[in-house]
Amino acid sequence: MAELHVIGQLVGGYDFHSCDLFCKWGLAHGSNWNVIEGKSEGQTQVDHPKDGTFAKWSHPIDLHLSCQGLQGWPKLHFQVWHEDIFGRNELYGYGFIHVPTVPGNHEVDCVIWKPVGSFMDQVTSFFMGGGPELSQESLVHSSEDRLRLRTESSGRVRLKLGIIIRNFEKFGVETS
Amino acid sequence: MAVRPPVSKSNVFLLMVTGEIESAEFPEYDGLYCNFSFFYGQDWTVLSNSSEGITQTSMRGSSPASNFVWNFPIDVTFKSTNPFGWPQIVVSVYGVNSLGRDEVRGYGSIHLPVTPGRHSLDIDMFVPEPASKLQKLVSWLIGPRPELVDPKFVARGEGREITRVSSQGFVRANVNIVMKDFSKQGYRNGTERFSNNSS
Repeated sequence: MAELHVIGQLVGGYDFHSCDLFCKWGLAHGSNWNVIEGKSEGQTQVDHPKDGTFAKWSHPIDLHLSCQGLQGWPKLHFQVWHEDIFGRNELYGYGFIHVPTVPGNHEVDCVIWKPVGSFMDQVTSFFMGGGPELSQESLVHSSEDRLRLRTESSGRVRLKLGIIIRNFEKFGVETS
Repeated sequence: MAVRPPVSKSNVFLLMVTGEIESAEFPEYDGLYCNFSFFYGQDWTVLSNSSEGITQTSMRGSSPASNFVWNFPIDVTFKSTNPFGWPQIVVSVYGVNSLGRDEVRGYGSIHLPVTPGRHSLDIDMFVPEPASKLQKLVSWLIGPRPELVDPKFVARGEGREITRVSSQGFVRANVNIVMKDFSKQGYRNGTERFSNNSS
């Protein structure tokens, strides 16, 4: 059985409207894959950065997966939330990346987008805050049902990932 | 090579880390020292005798682009059977406040690189914020700032959602990573061209 280690951290979020942010993250993978050790979901700290440009989460990721087939290569998906001075949370967007297949150290940026509602929704959220959210979070990392969704860009999440693989070449799989 | 080391049957690999806690950048403060240690999983053990240290107190220099320089040596060797629990450097930076008390200026952590070679690591630093507005006022009036009970908290992923922090500055560590028997155990980290596997 081939093994995959994902070792690194969620560095932070930047290019957002405001950088008082936190992030919920999770791992999605196909049925050929199993998480042997490590947390496959989590939530970062809330950062109020002094310089106000880059929310630092420094959130460790350490995952040990095994697979019996390549289909369903694992993905990491993110939800970025903003916390205002009253402690209210507002969704800033979604995004996903595939875990890199090439072993080694990677710095990966994930673009973040959020759904846009109708004109009336936008008027409401301008005065009341908040905004539309996805009812099915799996939409973030699946390619189905995106057609009717209207979205806008909202920022980026940075990750540093170290990838270690084992026994892939035993099954004739080349990743680099 | 003419002489081959004896092939070990065990599934142990070694990770040697040499380098330095080089310097730090903190715009607002002066007179800082740094405490560093390593956080690693239960499959890992430290072979050398010391895996932690406290640097000297460094003042801002007079040259224009100066930051806090520590140049503090790191020299650790780890032994493990499993990459899970890969070691993280955990640093906490302290300074002396106007009342002469030690006060934390930042916590941070980063995983060691998974590839051999020389790496420069910038460790982002942050301090926890008071949980409520009242505590914020109290700590502003009579100090001290909130601190983490266990500085290694920052290397764990659990319980982070309830912490509010304020980030500022970074610590730079330069490390050289040497690995032994890693690819022999079947692990690939993208540097296979350096090893001669006869598989």
